[in-house]
Amino acid sequence: MTRFLDSHFHRRDFLFRSGAGLGAVALAALQSQSIARGAGNGSSALPMPHVPARAKNVIFLFMEGGPSHLDTFDPKPELNRLAGQHLPESFGTVLTAMGEFHAPLLASHRKWKQHGESGTWVSDWLPYTAECVDDIAVLRSCWTDGNSHSAGVCQMNTCSMIGGRPSLGSWVTYGLGSENQNLPAFVVMQDNRSSVVNGPRNWGAGFMPASYQGTQLSEGSQPIPYLNTPEGLDVQTQIGKLGYLNSINQKFSTEYPQQSELEARIRSYELAFRMQSAAPEAVDLAQETAATKELYGMHEKETEAYGRLCLMSRRLVERGVRFIQLYHGAGSKWDAHNNIESNHTQLCRAMDRPVAGLLKDLKQRGLLDETLVIWGGEFGRTPMSEQGNGRDHNPTGFSMWMAGGGVQGGQTIGTTDELGLRAVEDRMHVHDLHATILRSLGLDHMALTYSYKGRPERPTVNEGSVMEKLFTRRG
Amino acid sequence: MNLRHRALFVATTAGLQLLGIGSHLTIQGGELPTTEQIQFFEKSVRPLLVEHCYKCHSEKSQKGNLRVDGRGHLLLGGDSGSAFTPGKPGESLLMEAIRYESYEMPPGQKLKDEEIAIFERWIELGAPWPGDDGSIPQRAAGKGFTDEERAWWAFQPVQNPVLPALQSLSQWGNGGIDRFIAAQMEQQQLTPAPEADRQTLLWRVYFDLIGLPPTPEEVRKFEQDPDPLAYEKVVDELLQRPEYGERWARHWLDLVRYAESDGYRADLFREQAWRYRDYVIQSFNEDKPYDRFVQEQIAGDELFPGDPAALVATGFYRHGMFEYNVPDVKGQWDSILNEMTDVTADVFLGMGFQCARCHDHKFDPILQKDYFRLRAFFEGVLPCDDVPAVSPDDLARFTAEMNRYTEKTKEIQQKLDEKLAPHLKRVFEATIKRYPDDLLAVIRKNPAERTASETQYMQFIMRLVTYEQARVDGRITGEEKDQILELRRELAKFDSLKPAALPRPLTVRDVGPMAPATVIPKKNVEVQPGFLSILDPNDPEIPGRVDSTGRRSVLARWLTDQANPLTPRVIVNRVWQYHFGRGLAANSSDFGQLGDVPTHPELLDWLTTRFLENGWKLKSLHRDIVTSATYRQSASHPFLAESQLKDPVNRYYWRADVRRLDAEQIRDAILFVTGRLNPARGGQSVQADQPRRSIYTRVMRNSHDPLLQAFDLPLFISSTSSRNTTTSPIQSLLLINSQTMLAYATQLAERSIAAGQNSTPSPEAVVEALWFTLFGRTPEAEERAGALAFLEQQKRLRQDLHEQAASLPDVATGKVPYRDGQAVLFQAEKASERFLIPSDDRLNFSDFTVEMYFQLRSIFESGEVRTLAAKMPGPGARTGWLFAITGKGSRRKPQTLVLQLFGKDENGQDQEAVIFSDHHVDINKPYYAAASVHLAQAGQAGKIVFYLKDLSNDDEPVIIYEQPLKLVSVKANTAPLVLGNREGADGRFDGLLDDVRLSSKALSQNELLLTVEGVLESTVGYWQFEPHPGLLQDTLTDGLSIQPGRLEPKVSPEMGALIDLSHVLLNSNEFLYVD
Repeated sequence: MTRFLDSHFHRRDFLFRSGAGLGAVALAALQSQSIARGAGNGSSALPMPHVPARAKNVIFLFMEGGPSHLDTFDPKPELNRLAGQHLPESFGTVLTAMGEFHAPLLASHRKWKQHGESGTWVSDWLPYTAECVDDIAVLRSCWTDGNSHSAGVCQMNTCSMIGGRPSLGSWVTYGLGSENQNLPAFVVMQDNRSSVVNGPRNWGAGFMPASYQGTQLSEGSQPIPYLNTPEGLDVQTQIGKLGYLNSINQKFSTEYPQQSELEARIRSYELAFRMQSAAPEAVDLAQETAATKELYGMHEKETEAYGRLCLMSRRLVERGVRFIQLYHGAGSKWDAHNNIESNHTQLCRAMDRPVAGLLKDLKQRGLLDETLVIWGGEFGRTPMSEQGNGRDHNPTGFSMWMAGGGVQGGQTIGTTDELGLRAVEDRMHVHDLHATILRSLGLDHMALTYSYKGRPERPTVNEGSVMEKLFTRRG
Repeated sequence: MNLRHRALFVATTAGLQLLGIGSHLTIQGGELPTTEQIQFFEKSVRPLLVEHCYKCHSEKSQKGNLRVDGRGHLLLGGDSGSAFTPGKPGESLLMEAIRYESYEMPPGQKLKDEEIAIFERWIELGAPWPGDDGSIPQRAAGKGFTDEERAWWAFQPVQNPVLPALQSLSQWGNGGIDRFIAAQMEQQQLTPAPEADRQTLLWRVYFDLIGLPPTPEEVRKFEQDPDPLAYEKVVDELLQRPEYGERWARHWLDLVRYAESDGYRADLFREQAWRYRDYVIQSFNEDKPYDRFVQEQIAGDELFPGDPAALVATGFYRHGMFEYNVPDVKGQWDSILNEMTDVTADVFLGMGFQCARCHDHKFDPILQKDYFRLRAFFEGVLPCDDVPAVSPDDLARFTAEMNRYTEKTKEIQQKLDEKLAPHLKRVFEATIKRYPDDLLAVIRKNPAERTASETQYMQFIMRLVTYEQARVDGRITGEEKDQILELRRELAKFDSLKPAALPRPLTVRDVGPMAPATVIPKKNVEVQPGFLSILDPNDPEIPGRVDSTGRRSVLARWLTDQANPLTPRVIVNRVWQYHFGRGLAANSSDFGQLGDVPTHPELLDWLTTRFLENGWKLKSLHRDIVTSATYRQSASHPFLAESQLKDPVNRYYWRADVRRLDAEQIRDAILFVTGRLNPARGGQSVQADQPRRSIYTRVMRNSHDPLLQAFDLPLFISSTSSRNTTTSPIQSLLLINSQTMLAYATQLAERSIAAGQNSTPSPEAVVEALWFTLFGRTPEAEERAGALAFLEQQKRLRQDLHEQAASLPDVATGKVPYRDGQAVLFQAEKASERFLIPSDDRLNFSDFTVEMYFQLRSIFESGEVRTLAAKMPGPGARTGWLFAITGKGSRRKPQTLVLQLFGKDENGQDQEAVIFSDHHVDINKPYYAAASVHLAQAGQAGKIVFYLKDLSNDDEPVIIYEQPLKLVSVKANTAPLVLGNREGADGRFDGLLDDVRLSSKALSQNELLLTVEGVLESTVGYWQFEPHPGLLQDTLTDGLSIQPGRLEPKVSPEMGALIDLSHVLLNSNEFLYVD
């Protein structure tokens, strides 16, 4: 109801309303179509980070459904030794999602090797990612609270298992603003049209204004919903309408010069019009060379879909899109309750080369330093079997990795117990992950506040700490 | 540029709220730290504090009651007083302590000199601390309440202040409200704006009270009414209209996070939730006293046991999110209880309790104990879905009829039960395996031996069991299945004897006279039900009951006690906020320290006193507010600039605000002005593509209507006390480019011609009609000229267009929930376009697969089918195929997928195959469906495989149903392929159809559209109904495009121009804003 977002905006309103004329400054800011990247000078309208930023952008590769850490980044010889037996009693009781509490342990059938100068362990499911390990910091000690997909995906996005809070991308957009006025600052893409668990509220702004929410972007000439002139009308007719709309809106806003929103709405149509050319250009891969496309695996059927998304996200980063989330296996495809071998073989294959291609491409273009790339799902999978040949959800210990954005590659942080059930050393809760991601962007998770219903809300629900090791070379 | 200036700059853009421009700077008064200061703090100061001080003086431990992990904490200090005086290291205890001058801190090892110097420098700078300027001192833990806390305005009894005396404004206003407002204006040297003109006022009060604009007739009538009390008459009339309840219930539903789905991965629909919505509408319409309204929701079952409405009201507790298949039942129940506590405190007390769940509230005197004292009232709650909400008489009648029915059907029912029992048992056993051992033990227990909490857990467990058992049919096959279906058909013959189902709303009752213990986690302290300690530290006496703990009755009575300082103030403040856009206390759900003190505390109390005197009635409060001179002011002011300087945000109400309509007002207004609004009231919710008022559209938590969502519809996950108002290009794109808005514009254009009451009205008359309908006024001469010129211009542009291309047919589009992109809406009541794909060789094949996404609105009562796709010339032709959903009256299988094929069998005989999938297709549920046809070959049986997937529940597996097929060929024909209908008979689809794909091959499961989207080698046609490559275009290059079967007459350039004008006006700020 209120146009005052909250009480602490009063002061801003004051500054705004008492300023000279009607949003003249803002207008100027908008007219400069794109603000120079990294411009720390006084002309920038962007909020300042709290601490020096390492990264400017984030690409979050979200493996939806929960990939198995035990078959990708966290080898457990002990698991193969004990395979077929029950979880030793010393591990206590485990509450699993599907209830096969007493199922025997399932061996990993992967072949493991150390890679790169760093000797990071990666399984044979991810040969291309393995080539990039010296840029990657593997986090083997992640844990979360949510044991269902809904709670897990919600928490990985918002820090809370229960919905209603802003997503990480929204906090980042709120905290740092947008570097490209013609494209959304926070973009979400997915590899198929199945609904991601919980739907769009995963990238929602929660209690913050909707302008901080993620925008779903797809390929093609209409990457954003309703971007194009409706069918049956031509552009001239539409321009005619926009011109006339502008004139009657101008008249109405001159009657109420105190109401800045009226002006903003006029601008929003201009912006919408500018987006009509900016967005399709951003996702148009025709300008990319065959070599680049091959790097992303776009020449092969299995890797083409995610390859396109990864390549699109590099183009978006180049255009100043702040936060990109790329769902792989949308609709919990990674959820291998049975037959993990065939499920993960297929999904790893579809994702591995495109992801590695993205890292290599970012690096060769000098973008990796300022782009934090995150890989992972909402949780990992159990050492215990399910339905004989699958694995259940495991929120108590799983792996993710980060690269770029100031992350010191070639290291492996944290450990799980000898069966990979629980994180034990350097444990990183989702709160810590988010605090760390924010820090890479120069944001202090405790200083970033938004006042909601009069209360200061923080991105990590007042918890979490930064994993400093991630940014410093070990040893 | 330092941060402060940056903040100013940010403020200018923050107002714009475009593409996420914003700032994290908390401005709470006082200087903001500069970048250099922040860096100094983070690099030098914070690490020292963390390393040397946090161990004893932070969240976990507070020796000497001192915390050093926040500026506020330091300012508040510990037992020895404030730790420092900003800017004055010499006067600071902290410096003394680290210099070892009084205390010796940190003990053991004095800091190095350069470290001490860092602290000195930091305090000199004013001790900047990013994100915490310490302007709101945090509470000291465990010290009891201070006098200041006890004196906090919100905890004081409501006063009945005398009306202030006025000086310069003594002639202004017409009642108490205006006296208080004027007194403040005088103090601020402000003057009120003149009264708004009649049209503006009428527009404002209509949207405000009923959420809809007035009709042109109502505008004219009001303008011509010579009665000086014409406005007051309108107000009285609006308050009596049923639309009033529909509007104001919306505010309440926001507060109580009302939605109709579970909201987790399985966003299951809550079929009975709407009864609570109708209860709220009715309560507002009958002006139910607010105290009674609160009592019904908090303890309707205990206080008004015979009243069905009071039972429905307890649905208040049930709107939170829920996940039916979580094995961690205890954890979920714990969070549900916490959620009930949070929402109750937010809604009724206007106090943010959440923070106190883990620790005493940092700023307000809400103890952690108080959180659990409040929660204890709900500890014995048992959610129920099976309690009939009817009068005892109706219940008796129902029972008698039901007995009669049961008697008649006993034998069949018995047989059916016998058949089903082993299957149900098997499902039961399989389902409960998902629970851990301790809960399994609970399940196996004799119900009488279960503890109160175990009974509560069982409720949740049984919901999953019931869910799985309801799907038992899917697990039975073959002959047994046929027998069961036969018995069902037998049973159905007695349906006429069966009484109509009773309303069984979402309700709660208590599990019994004893509630489980309420224990503060980690502290292991048990607490009894109680109120905010600062208001009443004692445990209230709770009269025992036989069937219930009686706890909630005590809470309800306390909340609605005349002397409760919070409940009445909170609702009065909310009503004010909904009228003015801002409460007298700005944060209507937080009357604590962080919520800002009221701008007009005396007015709030004066209104609250009157509200209580009037018996907690809301309508008289509305009347007082909207008839005040304060409310009736214009949004313009003769001395705008000067007044802006004194009060830029209009805290003192010296003019009206221009406010954007909220999501529902926008949608409702569009439907209203286009003449599409269906005035039906109440009942089951409908999809957003139905033209009912938005309050009646279905609210699924994980899938919102794009238009409503774009205009800041809340998430309905937690209590929403005020809506955001954002301005984004996404909204503009939707309003100017969506097919839906274009259709509205067309309807508006048609209506404005009809309104001219002349077969060929002049453009002037049409412009006049549009202005009256959309803005409630006559266009000014200049505006009229502008509009006419625009019509001319568009006519010219359209002329060119007209010559180039055919215009698009009248096709309504929508969105299948949980799917992206646009779907086509087929409307049963409307002979809509027919989607024909002309006959083509490519469309005759042997094996094939037809698949699509759909959402069904209704089925035929008869045996007639709702067609998804068909290639069949008509009944009797005996060629081709049809894929459809059977009607209720289908003799063989009602409401299920059916595939009908005509072809030849192995012996060359003409045969018909009609194969049913057996799976009940729900109305309004989004589905993916496919039929894959594998014809028989010599010596090898063929088969048909149906696939059906409920999109609203990810956990629901794809249902696969396979049937043998004897045909070796399908008989080709030259009929067109028809989507959403069939040739020569009534088989209209009703609902949304999306992404139809036809393949010349029996696809295997991993090739289905559900798994692999896009064009495969076997794809013959793939129609996605997207603007790209075109609504009616095949996604395949050189594919088979759809041709509308009944071409609309082409839109003439004149009509096109009028549609353009209508479209622009629907986009205009004057339409979207109320001034």
